[in-house]
Parts: sequence; structure tokens; C-alpha cells
Amino acid sequence: MADLKIEGLNKRYGSVSVLRDIDLTIEHGEFVVFVGPSGCGKSTLLRMICGLDDVTSGQLMLANEVINDVPSSKRGIAMVFQSYALYPHMSVADNMGYALKLAKTPKDEIESRVRNAAEILQIVPLLERKPRQLSGGQRQRVAIGRAIVREPDVFLFDEPLSNLDAALRVDMRMEFARLKDRLGTTMIYVTHDQVEAMTLADKIVVMHDGRIEQVGSPISLYNNPVNRFVAGFIGSPKMNFLAARFTDGAVAFQSGHLHMPHASARLTEIGIRPEHLRVGDDGEGVVQGRLVATEHLGSDTFAMVEVADSERPVMVRIPGERRIPHGSSLSLTFDAANVHMFDAEGTALPNETRRADAA
Amino acid sequence: MSDLSASPTAAPRRISPHAKRGGVKAGENRFGILLLIPALTAFGLVVLFPFLEALRLSFYEFTIQMMSPEFVGLDNFRRILTDPTIIGSFVTTLIFVSLTTFFSITIGLGWALILNHPFRGQAMLRGLSLLPWVMPAVVAAFLWGWIFNSRYGLLNSLALDFGLIEYPVAYLSTNAGAMAAVVITKTWLSVPLFMAFFIAGLQNLDREQIEAARVDGAGNFHVLKDHVLPHLRPVMMVTVVLGIVGNLQHFDTIWALTGGGPVRATTVLSIEVYRRAFEQWDIGMAATVGVVWVATILPPAYFYLRQLMMRAE
Repeated sequence: MADLKIEGLNKRYGSVSVLRDIDLTIEHGEFVVFVGPSGCGKSTLLRMICGLDDVTSGQLMLANEVINDVPSSKRGIAMVFQSYALYPHMSVADNMGYALKLAKTPKDEIESRVRNAAEILQIVPLLERKPRQLSGGQRQRVAIGRAIVREPDVFLFDEPLSNLDAALRVDMRMEFARLKDRLGTTMIYVTHDQVEAMTLADKIVVMHDGRIEQVGSPISLYNNPVNRFVAGFIGSPKMNFLAARFTDGAVAFQSGHLHMPHASARLTEIGIRPEHLRVGDDGEGVVQGRLVATEHLGSDTFAMVEVADSERPVMVRIPGERRIPHGSSLSLTFDAANVHMFDAEGTALPNETRRADAA
Repeated sequence: MSDLSASPTAAPRRISPHAKRGGVKAGENRFGILLLIPALTAFGLVVLFPFLEALRLSFYEFTIQMMSPEFVGLDNFRRILTDPTIIGSFVTTLIFVSLTTFFSITIGLGWALILNHPFRGQAMLRGLSLLPWVMPAVVAAFLWGWIFNSRYGLLNSLALDFGLIEYPVAYLSTNAGAMAAVVITKTWLSVPLFMAFFIAGLQNLDREQIEAARVDGAGNFHVLKDHVLPHLRPVMMVTVVLGIVGNLQHFDTIWALTGGGPVRATTVLSIEVYRRAFEQWDIGMAATVGVVWVATILPPAYFYLRQLMMRAE
């Protein structure tokens, strides 16, 4: 129905290029998350979809209509801003009904739609309050309510949870998931928090330096990142990277080795996630290191191990509670199937072991 | 259990030698009053004492023919209420204050809205806009006097060139023309200040709020009416009061431009007091008009100060 198509989109401010050759298709009803470090252009892309920033070149299409020069209010979209941007001098009900009032919707219809949205978000008792009398979480709901009332084709969310405390953020994340099921509308969500991206998205768009690095489902990005950037960005704690060389049918490290006969000669680095490392030497890959610190979360113990092949200490996730004396030497091991391989440009190289597993 | 002092190994408690008697805040109030003394002294000498003296004189008759003031009670106040010329001054003041305040604020706001949008030369125009503010009022009055001059004035010259008039007009010799001239001059002087107030107000307007309104479908008119003006309401209150107080006190440009004339057409209260005191030497009456005048300024000044105090809290 209302597919959003972006073709060859560019954004420049003077001589500064903010977005380069963005191509992206978003299908109706999809929950898409733009994720990337700050300054990667994800918010600019969202603002262009919203119509708050001009398109320098390329095309924005909604339901097969070019909307490059259509004003925001006529695009059939609603946006929830990072600061919520509630109208401070209007009551919650007036905030939510403002767009309808401007569209000259009859009063009783405004009232019923506002009430309906308020019920979905459980903010009916707040309708007569002013924004300043609300808590952060309540303001967030009102901002979402203001978007819902308009019954848009596409919802845009610009880092909507970044102003909330950690506990509330988890709650609201759940609400977004519920809202997605309940409304079934296309939603585009911008965040720099990859956990939000992983938990909410049908499709994640990883952005870096004004370009799209990879598009895919959360699990496909986790399992098959196309390059070092995506590999390092998706997953928490971050993937560990070890400098490596492929010689004589094996991958060699300064501090260990990996048995992998099919690796490419272009290999310069391998990546291995903290959850795929364990203490021991029974796996196909083994490296030696020295424990520098541990973090005890109760459910897991994270060990930071200094290894000669990595600038940063290698992070290892050990399930449960383990006490290991700091400074002790450790042997870490991992399976070839879990290894990600990269060449000097950071492009991912195929892992034959993994393919064999999948087949 | 967690009471450390109860544990047998704890050292005996003592008070730190750095402790201040009477708590950490002791002496702060005394020091504050000390800091206020110079300002209070100056205020007493140049504001409070003359005002009390004027208040005293308002109960006396004291003219140039008299050797010493003579107590007349509320007689001066009674005369004000029945003297049509003084009542006329109040009406003139009302007209002058409402017109100048209205125009200074609307033009100041409009100018601020224009200058708040980025465009080439914005900074320069903003700087130039402040020029009337730094210009001495008397210089401004002569400048405008020259513009309105009946023989070689700029306004006459332009109007003649465009064929709007056939003969030069003596604007300042008609009642309406003189009032218009003093209102325009004072407005011109006040606009920069109000513009600065409004620009300051506009700059802390949340940009995302306006964007949200745009997405909601608000055009320029609704953005102004529903978002910008409500946001500027507190600034508006302050500028209205400040404008009223300032215009009620205004003297210099009117005196330089029209001297209160023609006849009494632009004789506002400040001019009235000046004439009574230093032309007719009717000191008692001048003091009485002054007291009534202060009484009209006090309510708006009170609201202004209250507004400031409330925001400071």
C-alpha cells in the first residue's frame, strides 16, 4: 500500500556531504530502525522523509508518488521528536488534537480520536494536564499519542527513548513493540542504541558516514555482517577483533592459532563475539592472554583479557558467576563456525565452516 | 548495629576546628546588607528624599510671589481635579502612552520576527537596528524635527517630489501632526530595546516545537498565533509594562521637538510639571502633579517588578 522508496538520495549542506547515494525500500507495515553512531546521517535521513529538510538530489517516493517537494503536513506522516516537542501552553488533549483542529475536523470527531489514542496509551487521566505537569515517560506517551491521532501512513521516531532513564526505556521499548502489533502502520525509528534496534526492528538499516552499510533483519546482521563496521556495531558487548594471518592452511595469531583450512589469503583480521569465547583450549581456535578485569553481573561474568593480537582487551562472556584472580594467565578458545573474517578494507570474507553448518 | 560510634574501637568524637558557630550560613545576611549600603544611600539621597520632599510640598501652596510655603492640605489635589488644563494633560499623556507603547511593541515584535530568520546581511541589519537606542534622545529629537520641518524638512521635500502635496505643510503646528511627530520619535527610539527583548525570547523558542507544528499542518499564521505568541507572552508582559512606565516618564524628545505645543497639544505630565515648576514657578502645584504622576506609574511598575521577582524564583 504505502511503500516508501528512496532512490539515489543525497544531502549536502554547502560543500559538506551528509548523505550519499541512499537507496532503500520500506514496505508497508514494516518496523524499520535506522541505527548508527552520532553524525552518521540517520536523523537527517529521517528529517528528509518527514519533509523538514530539503532533498539535494535523488527521489523520495511514497505509494509510488514522488514526494520530494510535498510539505510535511501533506505527506501522511507523523513524527515523534527526540525532545517530544509538546506545545507547552496547550493541554494534553489539545496537543493531541492540534493537527486535526488545523485540518478543520469536526469537534466531536477530534474528541473521539483523541480519546481513542489516549486509551491505547493509557493516558486518559492526563488529558486535561499541561505538558509541564507530566513526567518524562508521560510526555513521551503524549508525543506518541499526538502522532497516533493523525492516523498517518508512516510513523517517524527520532531517538524517542534517549531522554528517558534506563528502566523506563525498557518499558517503553515494550510499548513500541505492542504499538507496532496493534497499529500495523509503517514505522521508521532512529536510534544510536543497537539494543533498541535489535529488539524492535523488522529491518535494521545500519548507517555510517552518510552511507548505508547494511540492511537486514536483526539476526541476519548479527550472524552475517558484511563488514567490520557492522560487525562491531551490532551486538553487545561488542565483537572482539584479533589481527590474523592465513598461512599453510591455518590462521595464525601472535598468541595462538585457529584451525581453518579454507580461509582466504586476504585475511587480516578475525572477529569473534564475547558470547562465542570460553575459557579453555578444546576448540578449533585458541589464544593466550592475561586477565585484566572482570565485571560481575550475577547472570554473567565478563572477563577482559589482554591478548597480544588486539589493542583493546578481549571481552569474554562467561555464563554465571565466576571468580578468577586478576593478572592470571588464561587460555581462550572458540569454534571456527563462529569466526568472522575481514580483509584489509574491513570487508567480510566468507566463512566456509559456517556455510557447511548452515547447509 | 551500623552505629559506628557505638563500636568500642571508634575514636572519641570531636567538632572540627573549622566549624563555624551558628552554622555554615552564619554571617551571610549581615554581609549582604553591608553590600547593599552604598546603593541604598544613593537611592535615599537622589530618589527617596526628593520624592518625600515633593510629597510634602504637594500639601503646600508655594509660588514665586510667596516668601515661604503655606500649608493648604489637600487643596492642590482638589484643584487638579477641577483644572481642565491639568485634566487635559492626563488625557494627552494617555494618548501619547497608549500610541507609543502600542507601536513600539508591534513594530519591535515584527522587526524581531524578521530579524530572527537567517538571511544575508542579517547581522549587519541587526546591528544597525540598535542605532536609535544608542543615539541621545535630544539628537533624535532634532533629527526628527528636521524631517518634519515646515520649510526644509525631508518629509515635505519627499511629499512635494511625489506630488502628494502642493505646498509645504507645517506638521508640527497642527495638534494631530505634533502628536504624530512625538509618537513617531519615541517609537523610533524604543523599537530597538523591544526588538532585543523579543529576539531574546524568540531565540529560546524550541525549534522542534515549531517543526512539530509544521508537521501537524500549521502554516505561518498558525505558527505565529498558536506557538510564537504564546511563547512570547511573558516577554510581552514585561515589554508592555516597561513601555508604559518609560513612556509615562518621557520628557526629552517631546520638549526638544514641540515644547509641549502647539499650545498644549503635546503637553504630557512631565512637560506639565516642568512648566508649572520652572516656567510658572508654582512649585506646590508642580509637586502635586508630580505626586499624582508617580501614582499612575506605580501600579505598572509594581506589576513589572512582581513579574521579574516571580521569574527569579
